[in-house]
Amino acid sequence: MKKLTAILAATTCLSSAALADDDRIIVGFATAETGFMQAYDKPAQDAAMIRIAEINEAGGLLGKPIEVVKADTKTDRAEGAKAGLSVIDQGADMVVVSCDYDFGAPAALAAESNGLISFFLCAESIKAGIQGVGPNSFSASVLAAVQGATMAEWAYNKKEARTFYRLLDTWTEYNKGICDGFDWMLPQLPEAKLVGEDTFLNEDASIAAQITRIKSLPEEPDAIMLCTMMPGAVSAIKQLRAAGINSMILNGSGVDGSYWLSAVPDLSNFYVPVQGSIYGDDPNPAVNEFNAKYTEVTGAPPATQYTYPGYVMIDVWAKAVERAGTTETSAVVAELEKMVDEPTLFGPRTFTSELHHQNRARYLIVETNNGKPGVVDEWTISSPIPVADLMK
Amino acid sequence: MARYSILRRTIATPLILSALLLAFALIAWFVGSRPFNQTVIDIFLQVVFVVGLYTFIGNSGVISFGHIAFACLGGYVAAWTTIKPMMKGTAMPGLPDWLMQMEIPFWAAALAGGTFAAFWALVFGAVLMRLSGIAASIATFAMLAMVNAIYSNWSSVTAATSSVVGIPIVRSIWPYMIAAILAVFVAWAFSISRHGLALRAARDEPTAAAASGINIPRVRLIAFVISGAIMGAGGALYAHSIGLVTPDTFYLGLTFTTLSMLVVGGMGSLSGAVLGVLILSSLIQVLRWLEAGVQVGASTFALPGGVQEIALGVVMILILMFRPSGIMGNSELTGLRARTEKPVEPGTD
Repeated sequence: MKKLTAILAATTCLSSAALADDDRIIVGFATAETGFMQAYDKPAQDAAMIRIAEINEAGGLLGKPIEVVKADTKTDRAEGAKAGLSVIDQGADMVVVSCDYDFGAPAALAAESNGLISFFLCAESIKAGIQGVGPNSFSASVLAAVQGATMAEWAYNKKEARTFYRLLDTWTEYNKGICDGFDWMLPQLPEAKLVGEDTFLNEDASIAAQITRIKSLPEEPDAIMLCTMMPGAVSAIKQLRAAGINSMILNGSGVDGSYWLSAVPDLSNFYVPVQGSIYGDDPNPAVNEFNAKYTEVTGAPPATQYTYPGYVMIDVWAKAVERAGTTETSAVVAELEKMVDEPTLFGPRTFTSELHHQNRARYLIVETNNGKPGVVDEWTISSPIPVADLMK
Repeated sequence: MARYSILRRTIATPLILSALLLAFALIAWFVGSRPFNQTVIDIFLQVVFVVGLYTFIGNSGVISFGHIAFACLGGYVAAWTTIKPMMKGTAMPGLPDWLMQMEIPFWAAALAGGTFAAFWALVFGAVLMRLSGIAASIATFAMLAMVNAIYSNWSSVTAATSSVVGIPIVRSIWPYMIAAILAVFVAWAFSISRHGLALRAARDEPTAAAASGINIPRVRLIAFVISGAIMGAGGALYAHSIGLVTPDTFYLGLTFTTLSMLVVGGMGSLSGAVLGVLILSSLIQVLRWLEAGVQVGASTFALPGGVQEIALGVVMILILMFRPSGIMGNSELTGLRARTEKPVEPGTD
């Protein structure tokens, strides 16, 4: 057994040595190929591969082809650290890690301690970056707080919502993040009033108690800020509507997708912020072209907007490498930090030396009307959320 | 005289096991691949955990589902004592001032983690060790659930379910090897000690043992505290191996992995505990490589993803089919041939 281990270890060593080569640029994916995170990582990774293929077709990056090496984190933190080290040993110039902060962090920390750039595929916690990993770590998505803030400001300005009710599912950091952004935005809206707030847990079978409290308000609130995610979101939404509460429901991007809508037939007055539309009606025709390409490559259209950050990630990183003229970490980080409203397919992106994440972003607003989702508007919050407020 | 003879008769076991562990460390060192190095670190940590489990389960015969709770206690001690004070302030603002300012090296954190876990093992054990059989097992499981619930919700002190990051990462293999070897020696020393022998007597013949004046809850408690300390130190080192802790790292997944390694290796044997880890971990590693793909001549041979978990289950079933009491059963590795506990005739000592 030990002999076999040694032989196998030796072969791995040889293959890694063979891969270290200056004629190509290597992107290492330390992401989940098995386990529950695979459902989140795979679509974003496929989108990243599409961007890599596009760059390679156009002559590569700095004239060199981009190659990809992979290691499976098995949706396990200890395996994540190994996967990170494994792609680094295979010569990765940049390390892509799992969507979720908790599962991506071990690999990102491995990259950080080896002086390499790491990108979270779609993490939406402020920790996924400088604050929770180090100065060379970035996230390709937008902070959850921006989603809550966007929905509050948009509903106030465009739907004349004045009374808000805040319903938080305390299950994850992501949910809390959405409501934190909402809490930050609300006092800035002069006539907006919070008429009540409540919490529940994603796994709660019934939110009857919370619904009773909403029903006992003198007037139905204009909008309910629902900070939750799958799978509990469906049951909460169904119960709210079944109880006859017709207020508009504002959400985070976590409930994007039409796969669950059959569970709440004829859902209306329901709003979700998205980075790009999967429904074929994105105002940017290039996004619809991307959706077609994605369908062609993977055999199915994107299921949620969380496919898109993977594309953005390779896009901004490749631009920074091109401008720096090298893949050397500090030069590329410096170029990334110079990006202010850098245009991408899915809205402008900004990175600063203080924040490697988006504390302001353009969101498309998807309205579900009679069970049919579609883009109705777009909104960018009037000012970025200060980092100090995000760190609370 | 009797004490020295038992020492001489059994010292070979920890020495052989240490040599095995050293061999693994040397392989990792010669190979020089960082992911492989990390794999071997993982193996050493599992050796610590499984040896910790063995110290209690092997000697007392009571199956504990709760020991990973002590690893959790130890892991968070590492987080509390080694993260830079500034980072601690934002993640865990509820820590007392003296703890907030503390920044100690990883080995001290491992000792502190072991001590903290041992203290709680003493508190829990004082109650739990009066139970026997399945009642004791379920009670230890309840303890695991309780610790997990507290650590998942006490946000000001444990950051609740969020990952606590900033724990200095130790990627050198040697501290983990030393910890594994120390755990083996502690477990060995306990099992040949007066209390260890008394506990094994109580395991095999509780009525006769009690009649001979053995205070069963007390000797069990001693084993529980020692094994708790080993688990706590292991938990702290685990935190240092990946640089972060969360409560769900130390829950059912790790509990069942470590227990199954102990069962496959042989519950009543220290050699079984260590071999269980080494054999199963090596098997997992080989399957992972096969999953990732191995070059055979011009073609690449790869197993479909997920085969590793299935194959591991099948191999474990096969081992238990042919060796129901595990690979080692109740025997230990002692030089030339395996020595079993039973055939020692009365009066030969």
